[in-house]
Amino acid sequence: MPTWVRAILVIGLLYLFLVGVKLLEGGIKGLGSDFTDALFDSVSNPLSGLFVGILATVLVQSSSVTTSTIVGLVAAGVIDVPAAVPMIMGANIGTTVTNTIVALGSVRRSDEFRLAFTAATMHDFFNVMAVAILLPLELLTGFLSEWAASIANFIAGGEGLTFDSPIKGAVKWGAGLFEDGYGTVIKNETAVAVIGIILGIALIFLTLMFITKNMKVLVATRIERSLNAVLAKSGLIGMIVGMIVTIAVQSSSITTSVLIPLVASGILLVRNAYPITLGANVGTTVTALLAAMAAGTIAGLTIALTHTLFNLVAIAVLYPWKRIRYIPVDLASKLADLAVRRTWAAIAYVVAFFVVLPIVGIVVLS
Amino acid sequence: MVFDFFRGSSGPQGIDAVEAQIVQMVRDSRTVFETSMSAVFGGGKSTEANQEVSQTDQGINEAQQDVRRTLMMHASVQGDVDLPLVLTYMSVVKDAERIGDYAKNLYDLAKFGVDFEVAPDRAELEGYCENVDRLLGDAADAFEKSDSERAQHLIDKADGFLDDYDDHVQAAYESQGPASDAVARTLYYRFLKRITAHVMNLLTSLVMPVDRLDYYDEARDDRD
Repeated sequence: MPTWVRAILVIGLLYLFLVGVKLLEGGIKGLGSDFTDALFDSVSNPLSGLFVGILATVLVQSSSVTTSTIVGLVAAGVIDVPAAVPMIMGANIGTTVTNTIVALGSVRRSDEFRLAFTAATMHDFFNVMAVAILLPLELLTGFLSEWAASIANFIAGGEGLTFDSPIKGAVKWGAGLFEDGYGTVIKNETAVAVIGIILGIALIFLTLMFITKNMKVLVATRIERSLNAVLAKSGLIGMIVGMIVTIAVQSSSITTSVLIPLVASGILLVRNAYPITLGANVGTTVTALLAAMAAGTIAGLTIALTHTLFNLVAIAVLYPWKRIRYIPVDLASKLADLAVRRTWAAIAYVVAFFVVLPIVGIVVLS
Repeated sequence: MVFDFFRGSSGPQGIDAVEAQIVQMVRDSRTVFETSMSAVFGGGKSTEANQEVSQTDQGINEAQQDVRRTLMMHASVQGDVDLPLVLTYMSVVKDAERIGDYAKNLYDLAKFGVDFEVAPDRAELEGYCENVDRLLGDAADAFEKSDSERAQHLIDKADGFLDDYDDHVQAAYESQGPASDAVARTLYYRFLKRITAHVMNLLTSLVMPVDRLDYYDEARDDRD
């Protein structure tokens, strides 16, 4: 496919993604307050919200899908910002499952597996540490969401509930076409709302999948060049490259998964891959920000900005001091040593941490 | 560096960069070979020449590592899009590096004191050297242009030299002359044979599938 055709395709997919967010938001509003109250109750416990975020992201293998959906839910008024914050943080943790699964592919060669598993799980440990520190602080003070709200109000130019953006107008038109389409065939309001939700989630999921796939083809050479340039570098440069690459492909999983074979083969040192991973954490928040632009509500923009601020603050807290900086790497290295000695431990870790724990957490807390 | 992502490409990238590097490795090996030959055929041996040979060979070794890194990066980012090429170049870069090694080994002969300047068979010795020199240049050109027809022609031509080298090694073994002459000729023809075989391996990447690469440095009977 010629590059220009692929570029137009990506723009079209991006538009459909934003339409998906709008359809989801409209569908949820259409279900009425009983449904939204029930949904809100189910995630009103912060830990429950955290586990929902982890599990939802593990299931769809994309934090962008989860966070965009959360933005839609917040924009529709189903969930308020404080309740959505733990879910967003859970999505951050859940997204690390992809590269951990990629690392399991090297299991037959112990030296490579040790490096691959370290590179994959340092991301897990960093994100868990970030949540362990910042979630209680956020619950006590609300500093992240309040900071995000003030930025959102600044961007929106006031303290209203909604804001106008060119994206919002354009997306509303596209979403209206869909709604008018199935609205003329189906007259039942609940059914129309359910179709809106299903179509919205399907569009978010599928368009992001194809955007990622096509963007990877479009920018693969640039990714190669950028990563080649930072192979022997550490710190801020790696972080910025990780962020740029992730924004380009709209997926932190792609960025972090590309690093696994490079680390496993010894071409990229674990400690040089670490800042690239942290940059990917920040880069992936751009998708939710785009979704917030389509939703056009201050609350939606606030939760999207909270996601960005959470990842930036996590870096600011955990990265600058050398004693703290490499704790996630060292913990990951210890876990990798165990995984090399007992392969079942690696599989047990993935299943227990990413599937069993969230399910048990949700069931118990609900 | 941070904004490399946004810049247009300056020079070849990815697989194209690998091809360019392998071509350069062969050309650098040719330089080493020519320096070695001028040392073996009459006094081209000097501290500067020795330094140049060592540095160029080191550069070739570093280029090999760089090619492998680039290939690994390419495979990690692009997935299986260029898998056959990645596997092929991972194999032939070793041949390109070995050419440099054997060219350097020929210089080592001069360092040991081998000098064919006044050898009675100088014309014959030099003739083979000129053949290999031309082969190196032609192989680099064919590889650069991905010219499979020319590559096949060069493989067929070079294949004929391999038996000649073995014949000369056999003749040196059976000669009644001084042992130093026999050893010098044996090593000389042996190194030329290895260089020729590795050039042929390199060229096979243009005409053969991945599973058939890398057999020209083995005896003819063992190739099939």
